[in-house]
Amino acid sequence: MSAFFKSLKNDKALWFMVLPGTLWFLIFCYLPMFGTIIAFKDFKIHRDGFFASVLNSEWVGIDNFKFLFSTEDAYLITRNTILYNVALIFLGLVLAVTIAIALNELVNKRMAKVYQTAMFMPYFLSWVIIGFFTFSFLSVDKGILNQIIVFFGGDPVSWYADSRFWPFIIIFMGIWKSIGYSSVVYLAAIAGIDKSYYEAAMIDGASKWQQIKYITLPLLKPLMIILTILAIGGIFRSDFGLFYQIPRDSGAIYSVTNVIDTYIYRSMSTTGNLGMSTAAGLYQSVVGFILVMLTNYIVKKISKENAIF
Amino acid sequence: MKVKKSLTLALVGTMLFSGLLAGCGSNNKTKEEATTAHPSGLKPYELKMYLIGGPQKDLNLVLGEINKYTKEKINATLDITMFDWGDYDKKMQVITASGEPYDIAFTASWTNDFRRNAANGTFMGLNDLLDKYGKETKAALDPRFLEGTKIKGEIYGVPVNKELGQQWVWRFNKKYLDKYKMDISNVRTLEDLEPLLKTIKASEPGNITPLAVAKNYKPYLPFDYVLGDELPIGVYMDSKDGKVVNVLETPELEQSLDTMRRFYQAGYLRPDVATLDGIDNIKTGQWFADREITQPYADKGWSRPAGYEIVSSPMHDPYVYTQSAAGSMHGISVTSGDPDRAMMFLNLLNTDKYLRNLINYGIEGTHYKKISENVIEDLPAMKDSYAMPGFSLGNMYLTYLHADEPADKWDAFKKFNDSATEAPTFGFAFDSTPVKTEVAAINNVSKEFIPALFTGSVDPKVYLPKATKKFKEAGLDKVIAEVQKQFDEWKATKK
Amino acid sequence: MRIFKPKEKEVDNNAISSFWNVVLNIMIGLFAFTCVFPFLFVIAISFTDEKVLAINGFSLIPDKFSMAAYEFVFSTGDQLLRSLGVTLTVTVIGTIISLILITTYAYVLSRRTFRYRNFFSFFAFFTMLFSGGMVPNYIVATQFLHLYNTIWALILPIAMNAFFILVMRTFFLTTVPDALVEAAKIDGSGELRTFVQIVLPISLPGIATIGLFCTLGYWNDWFNALLYIDDAKLVPLQAMLMRIQNNMEFVIQNSMQMGSSFEIAATMPKETVRMAMVVLATLPIALAYPFFQKYFVQGLTVGSLKE
Repeated sequence: MSAFFKSLKNDKALWFMVLPGTLWFLIFCYLPMFGTIIAFKDFKIHRDGFFASVLNSEWVGIDNFKFLFSTEDAYLITRNTILYNVALIFLGLVLAVTIAIALNELVNKRMAKVYQTAMFMPYFLSWVIIGFFTFSFLSVDKGILNQIIVFFGGDPVSWYADSRFWPFIIIFMGIWKSIGYSSVVYLAAIAGIDKSYYEAAMIDGASKWQQIKYITLPLLKPLMIILTILAIGGIFRSDFGLFYQIPRDSGAIYSVTNVIDTYIYRSMSTTGNLGMSTAAGLYQSVVGFILVMLTNYIVKKISKENAIF
Repeated sequence: MKVKKSLTLALVGTMLFSGLLAGCGSNNKTKEEATTAHPSGLKPYELKMYLIGGPQKDLNLVLGEINKYTKEKINATLDITMFDWGDYDKKMQVITASGEPYDIAFTASWTNDFRRNAANGTFMGLNDLLDKYGKETKAALDPRFLEGTKIKGEIYGVPVNKELGQQWVWRFNKKYLDKYKMDISNVRTLEDLEPLLKTIKASEPGNITPLAVAKNYKPYLPFDYVLGDELPIGVYMDSKDGKVVNVLETPELEQSLDTMRRFYQAGYLRPDVATLDGIDNIKTGQWFADREITQPYADKGWSRPAGYEIVSSPMHDPYVYTQSAAGSMHGISVTSGDPDRAMMFLNLLNTDKYLRNLINYGIEGTHYKKISENVIEDLPAMKDSYAMPGFSLGNMYLTYLHADEPADKWDAFKKFNDSATEAPTFGFAFDSTPVKTEVAAINNVSKEFIPALFTGSVDPKVYLPKATKKFKEAGLDKVIAEVQKQFDEWKATKK
Repeated sequence: MRIFKPKEKEVDNNAISSFWNVVLNIMIGLFAFTCVFPFLFVIAISFTDEKVLAINGFSLIPDKFSMAAYEFVFSTGDQLLRSLGVTLTVTVIGTIISLILITTYAYVLSRRTFRYRNFFSFFAFFTMLFSGGMVPNYIVATQFLHLYNTIWALILPIAMNAFFILVMRTFFLTTVPDALVEAAKIDGSGELRTFVQIVLPISLPGIATIGLFCTLGYWNDWFNALLYIDDAKLVPLQAMLMRIQNNMEFVIQNSMQMGSSFEIAATMPKETVRMAMVVLATLPIALAYPFFQKYFVQGLTVGSLKE
């Protein structure tokens, strides 16, 4: 404890700076976490308000979690969620860094700005609207792709019923929408790199490739690691719209488009139940938490500097 | 170790704060102020009411008028909050779960579900209150409204007097009926429809959709679906023994799916029907037939906004289902500070012609003008700033008519309601709590197979067995058994 | 890559070879084109006649030009402008508050000498994964903080975000050398002064990024408005758009159960209106984008610096 008071005294200013944020987290995040216990309750309304409702509701143990594991779909949705996330995290990382470096290297900076702005545009469109456009490409009778296929003498494909294509479509669309946003972070990090590193490298005769390999990438590494660790925390969650709006909720391709979030959504469609949805969220959080702790532990073993805590 | 410490700290912090919060939450008892006594001896009270629909600009203006009137009648004023169609259910879920006090909320089978609200204790049972303060309302209603919406013998919502029965119809674009001189008076079943579709497909260009339906399409089958028509759990319409069956294993379904498959392969439906959320047929006019739920003078109601003539032919006789009786109701919250007054107000709303029209059409001279005693014409202000959804605001039979509406509109509604017979599970409310895991699982299976199967998009020979198998694995039989059990118990109490 | 090495040496400035410049331009340019393409369609559709759209589907040049969608949106009168005003206010005030909260918190986490930096990192990170859910949040905001129908309900619940903090911390860690802070300390600069006068200026790219993300977060937020706002004066732009979309979806899904609902279906806004709303909600923020961009797409290359 004495170490604590010593820190309070010595790092007064730092404590002062961390305080507002801490308060915010307490009020807006930690305080509401109280509500998580309804995941273990059969939630009933009590006339004296929410707390009375929570306290008076009956404990049901893990009953609210069962629907997540009750059928063989449990394996399928877990597999899909993890595989898509692994692909999206990995490709997202590689492409975001590549694009950031490439944009940074373009000779004409005005073009770089134009490209960068353009890549940001999909971020502004909701999945509903993007779904609308993918449909115009993939529709059986009027879709552009099928018209092209027919023009070249092929047979039209019923895209929304053929599961072979969807892993690629989903991953492409996921990356396409988010890449502008995620590459900004790396662009900023590159912009923050001290120019003298490159000057020194040039004097030593380092090639562009060597500069990227020995200066840019190592300096981006902490950011890549932290973003990856954080992304792993969300490995049991997915961007709902990507898996629901883009495949148009087509049953024929559930085997490759159903993920935990869409499963939960469909489960709740007629029996919306606060306890069950809270339970589902808690399950996703706990798994993500365990995975992050593990990753963070491994990172810490390798390089202490890059771990989150 | 650090982590463990952090966790403990976080937990302690949370607990401290929640204690603080609990102290905060319980100070919302109604304030009672002594003011001049009201002739009725009632203390002044403000009723908090939630309604569905887009918020209207002139609501406060109209509320001023309403309050003058209700103040005089029952010494209560009204505070109405409206939530948009798409937001209403979510908002009400949050408000009720958070325990925020209010008095009255719009409820139905399709939003802010009265069964959910009754099951989790949000709404008050209204049997006694209705007997005490709602006699006139009760007298004006077809008794089946109240009978059908009871849960375990208790009424949880005051129903709006409107259409009670439900009847599916085939709608037709009259242009083509005239062109090919088709007679639809005998078209009821899918098979009856087939020759007509065939003619259209053969003679009209490809952009005319013969049967313009979307993924929610279901062929009409003689079943009373206990958990909604997305889940294949039903009781035969003419059932004597009240046996709950798996609809997927019935010959009627098999036959319908074969027909639908034929339709699909013949190109009567859009090829992507299984993934279509909706279809713009009314707007484009490029369609021949679709399906819809009807009500008296519905053809007129459809034709007017479409700008061309639409006619219809029934698929079956009208039935009264629980969900059709519960199309529009008002519930009273357990958090209400004065439930008696809430019921007094609802009674007034359902029996007082002046109040009922005021809340629906706004202020005479501002929002509408009277043409005759019972007929009005909208003024521009109505469309701009006071367009209320009439069916959600109490007894429809009291409302004024528009010049283009038939004078016997409400009589026709009464007749329609009288002609409707009760479906076998009418009045039975299934409590899914004991099988919630299985219901969640079969919901998923339903979304996977039902749209594709029922629209004929896939071969039923292959996919019906597949779907049946998967439904069973998800626990369909267990759910059916539970439904049967509860249904039998319910029937026993009815005798 | 190696083969190009001699060539690069000849051109002394540190730019890539013109061959690679062309290749990169083509690849990135093509991808960028696919990104703006749907947006061009959105604009085209918003100017198309509703009925023609339903019959013909959409095309990049409207088959029949119409301003009806915009007329409809603007016919809501001052609501649109008011919502824009709310959004702008929330975005500007919110971004400032967020940046203050996030940079201060993140800076503390980046200080290697601070004994409890791991605790506070974990404290922030934990909230990324676990949340109480909608109802408890609603109770805190309405019954405890009384934010219902106030502009703060649109700002405070999203003022902080552990993700931004951890990214910002990484920026501080990589761009602010410890030696710099220590040197300032020896010079007698207080911790706060060092932060404001030395640390913040060299961290501008990072701050611009987080600032951009916060701005976008506030601009695009509709969920808090859904939960906490029913006063028309305080409804932000995105919430207005979202309500129209929700209504359309709801009516499509529930039209059959609602029975006497012709009136609703007839008064519903249409597809072109939806697109017009997207245009109106996106253009202002897209125009603000270059302001942030100048901080992370560098205007000068290292090579030209040297010349």
